Amino acid sequence: MPALLRLIVGRLCFIVLAGFLLLSFLFALFHMIPGDPAVLLAGDSATKEVVDSIRAAYGFDRPLHVQYVSYMSHVLVGDFGVSNYTRQPVLGIVLPRVLNTAQLATLAMLLAASISLVLGSLSAMFWGHPLDRVVTLSSLVGICTPVFVTGIAGIYLFGVWLEWLPIAGMGSWWNYILPVVTLGTYQAAIFTRMVRSCMIDALSKEFIVTARAKGVRERRIVYLHAMRNALLPIITLFGLGFGHTLGGSVVVESIFNWPGLGRLMVESVLTRDLPVIQAAIFFFAIIFITLNMLVDIIYTWADPRIRY
Amino acid sequence: MQFLRTFTRDKIGSFFAMVLLALIVVAITAQWITPRDPFAVSLRETMQPPSWSHWFGTDQFGRDVLSRVILATQVTTKIALSSILFAVILGVPLGMISAYRGGIVDSICMRITDIMLIFPIILVAIVIVVVAGPSENGVILALGLSQLPQFVRIARGVTLAAKEELYVEAAIAAGAGWRRILWRHIWPNISTPVIVQATLTLPVFVLNTAALSYLGLGVQPPTPEWGQMLNEAKEVLTSAPYLIIGPSVALFLFVLSANLVGDTLQEAMNPKLKARTPGSAPSTDPVIDQARTNG
Repeated sequence: MPALLRLIVGRLCFIVLAGFLLLSFLFALFHMIPGDPAVLLAGDSATKEVVDSIRAAYGFDRPLHVQYVSYMSHVLVGDFGVSNYTRQPVLGIVLPRVLNTAQLATLAMLLAASISLVLGSLSAMFWGHPLDRVVTLSSLVGICTPVFVTGIAGIYLFGVWLEWLPIAGMGSWWNYILPVVTLGTYQAAIFTRMVRSCMIDALSKEFIVTARAKGVRERRIVYLHAMRNALLPIITLFGLGFGHTLGGSVVVESIFNWPGLGRLMVESVLTRDLPVIQAAIFFFAIIFITLNMLVDIIYTWADPRIRY
Repeated sequence: MQFLRTFTRDKIGSFFAMVLLALIVVAITAQWITPRDPFAVSLRETMQPPSWSHWFGTDQFGRDVLSRVILATQVTTKIALSSILFAVILGVPLGMISAYRGGIVDSICMRITDIMLIFPIILVAIVIVVVAGPSENGVILALGLSQLPQFVRIARGVTLAAKEELYVEAAIAAGAGWRRILWRHIWPNISTPVIVQATLTLPVFVLNTAALSYLGLGVQPPTPEWGQMLNEAKEVLTSAPYLIIGPSVALFLFVLSANLVGDTLQEAMNPKLKARTPGSAPSTDPVIDQARTNG
């Protein structure tokens, strides 16, 4: 079996194992939470009979290992239970949210990757010159300004003052602009800094000197010779950066009322809707593990020297 | 002394070290220097624009935003420093013991930190908040745990290197116990990288404290925190946009100065990294520099 295929199969097995461990971990953790789930569901004013009937109906009175086996076997067929508040199946709530978050994060990631590749390599090319100073300074300012500051400023500027853009929800394509730009520019600030140092590393290699001595044009040196060599660290950077973008999407979704997984997670934590929290965290984490796996695979594919 | 000299050579770094120091002084003395009671509700002067009596205006409950920003400095600093302390006190010994003992303990330790490093801080924090409830202590626990792996790894790396040194071998030969070796012979090597890492972690923790509080998962009202104040300010954005100025500026200044101090510290302790960090002087080799820009 080719090495790459073996790697993919191995990582897929790992994802299944990780998913299983993760669910067990979340189950154990959320059953240690102080407070009776039946009382939480019934409300403070409920009588003891109501609480008891809820406990029996949900199976909270059964021993823990029986509850665990039943939860896991339901999850196996795609049943994550029902929401404590809306009474809808959790999977039906979570899946569309996953797609919305994926849209936001992917678009923001594309924006961040293109900005940072251009600015980062320009900055490395003009190392120490005013252009480099401007780029490094703006990326530093960008890193220090959290998305909820730029997001609120954006809402005020383009939504309230100029009235150009919608500020909440995801009705039309116009709704995408503010959230994607807010998240994308923040990530771009982080990536630019790293792309710059990767490119500086690559540009200080000896073969660059040789290329220059041969009289290769500078643009060709930067975009062909140096970029190819900086590609491996940049792939890793963008792969892990995609994870950071997803993490950032949690806050951005809350700012712009984006119906994504992150906002669902925050809302269900605030309302203590445990079945939804459990599923939302599970899907979020699985996405991360899958991303990491993809980075590994692309890395191996891009650099034949690496063998797992 | 040598270190101080290297550090102060960087003008920008020294300036922002002063800013950070000033902010920490503000944090320590917050109770005494707030111009007004940060909790005093006054429904007669709600959402006032910035003026001489209220530099950053007043919020929708008529509370003085400047006083709240000052108190928030204390709240944030306390949370960030406690989380760092938590991560260091738990992470460093864990890393040292893991490296010193080696074998299965080490493998298990490393696999766990590998897994923890995959997930972003915010996800770890949400899981912790579900269990601990949204509160200051919840944030400390969440942030501390999320960066624990970093400190474990640093301590482990340094210990692995120091273990091979002759003076450690000599100490073992002299019959010293493992506790004494770790504390007397290996710990002195670790303190520098740990301090650098802690400084670099500071802005990350401040940003995440604000983010969690913005989401309603961190510091709870009426205690002021920059992120939580921004969340309140967003509700009245159309009528009082100036309310976002105070907390935004304070947050930006704190994170910026902590970042720059971290970078400068890292350079001062490890000059080899100089070329990799922004804000530092350009290449000292004019030939290479010239060649880079001949295009």
